[in-house]
Amino acid sequence: MNHLLRVDGATVDYTTRHGATRALDGANLTIAPGERVGLVGESGSGKSTLGLLVGRLLPAGARVGGTITVDGRDVLSLRPGDLRALRREVLGFVPQDPVGALDPTLRVGRQMRLALRGSAGEDGNPADLLERVRIDRPDRVLRLYPHEISGGMAQRIVIATVMAAAPRLLVADEPTAALDAQSREEVTGLVMDLAESEGTSVLWLSHDLRAVGRWCDRTAVMYGGRVVEDGSTRAVLDDPRHPYTRALSRSDPAHAVPGRRLPAIVGGPPTLVAGAPGCAFAPRCPRAVADCEGHRPLPLTVDGRTVLCLRPETETTVPSDVKAAS
Amino acid sequence: MSTPENVVELRDVDAVFTSGRGRARRVLRAMRGVDLHVAAGETLGLVGESGSGKSTTGAVALGLRRPTSGTVTFLGEPLRRARRRPGAIQAVLQNPHWSLNPRLRVGATVAEPLAARDGRSPNAHRDAVRRMLEQVGLPPDLDARHPHELSGGQRQRVAIARALITEPRFIVFDEAVSALDVSVQAQILNLIRDLQELHGFGSLFISHDLAAVRYVAHRVAVMLRGEIVETAPTSVFYDVPRHPYSRRLLEAT
Amino acid sequence: MKDTATESTTRPRNPVRGALASFDALTLTCAGVLALLTLAAVAGPLAGVGGDPTAIVGPRLAPPSAEYPLGTDSLGRSLLPRVIEGVGTTLVVSAVAVLCTAVISTAGGIVAGYHGGAVNGVVMRIGDVLYAFPAIILAILVASVVGPGRTAALVSIVLVTVPLMTRMVGAAARLVCVRDYVTAARISGVSAPRIMVRHVLTNVSGTVAVQTTYALSVAILVEGGLSFLGYGVQLPASSLGLLIQEGTVYMVKAPWALLAPSVILVLAIVAINVIGDSLRDRFEPRKARSL
Repeated sequence: MNHLLRVDGATVDYTTRHGATRALDGANLTIAPGERVGLVGESGSGKSTLGLLVGRLLPAGARVGGTITVDGRDVLSLRPGDLRALRREVLGFVPQDPVGALDPTLRVGRQMRLALRGSAGEDGNPADLLERVRIDRPDRVLRLYPHEISGGMAQRIVIATVMAAAPRLLVADEPTAALDAQSREEVTGLVMDLAESEGTSVLWLSHDLRAVGRWCDRTAVMYGGRVVEDGSTRAVLDDPRHPYTRALSRSDPAHAVPGRRLPAIVGGPPTLVAGAPGCAFAPRCPRAVADCEGHRPLPLTVDGRTVLCLRPETETTVPSDVKAAS
Repeated sequence: MSTPENVVELRDVDAVFTSGRGRARRVLRAMRGVDLHVAAGETLGLVGESGSGKSTTGAVALGLRRPTSGTVTFLGEPLRRARRRPGAIQAVLQNPHWSLNPRLRVGATVAEPLAARDGRSPNAHRDAVRRMLEQVGLPPDLDARHPHELSGGQRQRVAIARALITEPRFIVFDEAVSALDVSVQAQILNLIRDLQELHGFGSLFISHDLAAVRYVAHRVAVMLRGEIVETAPTSVFYDVPRHPYSRRLLEAT
Repeated sequence: MKDTATESTTRPRNPVRGALASFDALTLTCAGVLALLTLAAVAGPLAGVGGDPTAIVGPRLAPPSAEYPLGTDSLGRSLLPRVIEGVGTTLVVSAVAVLCTAVISTAGGIVAGYHGGAVNGVVMRIGDVLYAFPAIILAILVASVVGPGRTAALVSIVLVTVPLMTRMVGAAARLVCVRDYVTAARISGVSAPRIMVRHVLTNVSGTVAVQTTYALSVAILVEGGLSFLGYGVQLPASSLGLLIQEGTVYMVKAPWALLAPSVILVLAIVAINVIGDSLRDRFEPRKARSL
């Protein structure tokens, strides 16, 4: 299969004053051209790290392992010039905090023109671009400073600028998290529509299961720096096989049973270290057995999706390689 | 109807905003003839789409915005007089990332409403703060931490502790869980229910998330273009929504 | 039930050593240059380095020698003590002016940011009007009102640097004021002045530090320009601008008289800007760096 993005066994480690911490612990992910993939995970699950890794945008000091291929290019071994070309021509990033992504000293119009210089969107007229993201009276907005516009407006401007370059892969890291709840749906719809019309693949990082369920073809669930369940959105979200995905889905108020208390997942997300044995979810997992603490689960194919679990929710035939591992 | 156990009552409230000057002048009627009341120990869920006026309604109920016309009463007296008793009304707001001052320790943040009420230093309320932290499910020694050391769920618990410390009679939750991780949402929604049972405050739970509202609210009010188009007990509303707009909202989820 | 903080950023244990270690070599070098200039300006006159700056001691326009390390000027005064005095004058005038700017802009920016709306509009429009004047024209205007001299230089610097800094602090304050913690404080009944100090000031302090640094480099430039044109510091005192002006007269015959003050002026401005950039990266990080 022809993948636009392929992440294989990606690991990311940081050394801080308090010792080594691991942000990614062998994550696997693929995206086909035109595909919209939701990457679901809680804060600390490693999804932002994975998003940044796609463009090698991690802060200095991160130690990276595994391979990342974008459009046939090995991202981790690209030379600086080629890396910039890749970011400019193939990738687009939509950040979480749009206001922070804009320069407060420049008017919107000038900063859009500066950002577009040298990209495929160079000839684009900023006013037309703003019209594409459904901004009324774009000429007025172009004259404003970033502090004079709302978060939703700022995010539209960022999206308009990013999409002007027609990237092949758009990485959006909780692009609606900083917006008030009302703008979220609109901005999400906007990004997805634009991506569809340009044929852009989308990697949508989010903790909002319902938004991902509505907009994404495929869903990958991250926990503890790994992708623990990955398959079609319907399969993963409606009928999860990984105990974490299931617990997550059950704790969603949308699945609350009237008169019954919501079953929140007890405990908090794990702090990862390199070379830890076992499944990161085991301490919080209702199905965990002794083996889970000591053996890292390997990818299993269960009911049409990939699951990283020794005891997925519905028992299927256990392949021999997992037995060998245990 | 004005009944004594109502903590907050809005009667025929209009809120009109104008923006711009000259030809660019725009008039927006954010609230039109809004009537609502919240009883002690009760949660009223307020739902609606973007721009429906639900956040404005929250701001008016909190006294942050003065209505253009109509009356707002708190425990039977005009809200403006009630505002002179700081801490009687509190709020838990949207974004856990921005709900706490990054420069202040958790203890100072939680103590602030008490300090504002009695004019003493935040340090004078250390014991009250630690008790409150425990009540919202946090270790008391978290008071010495800065917000950047906390997770999103912990921050929102701190925000709840700050709101509850003055033992308010009325709390507005404005999209208080929408920015949280799903599993944390469940923890916080459970916490809100437990604390309400314990303290008996009335609350206005503003959210675009109908599922969360269904879980915590006793009654639901639906806003559309500044008007409340339907108010019903939660069980009735989710089974047989009467207004066509309510039906559309429910279908969309 | 206990959440574990996983995204906490680490803070250095020893703040001073940690802060120093976290700046790059270039920034530290620039800070060193600035410290050296300040030290020379303070200790030089006290130790009497190079003798009396006003005394005529030797031949006119003598090149640098053991006796006159930087040469002499057109009246036969030794240039070394004059340059040392000039650096001091320039730094003092600039620093005092920038301090005034910082106070005015921080207060103005926070008040404007907190109140928003009309107050914000008024403050920003005043800034726009001042900003519309070219710095030198504004300075000449001031000099013609209060008369040339240190006061003129001081007031000019303040008028030139206040608009931009107020705008920057105002924008930062505006962002802070719409944060939920400010709203929560207002709902809890915390008074406006208390909110401005406790919540807003503490959160714009990074912007204030960065902008103050930039203002300092603009100040040195404006002082130089004014003195060069004869509207700033007056003889027999000396300042970098004044020395550069004197130097240009005999530029061909005695280039050293121009060189020393010019090099110092450029060094100071570059050093301050590098420090400013570094502070900005610290307080207002925009982008994650590449691997």
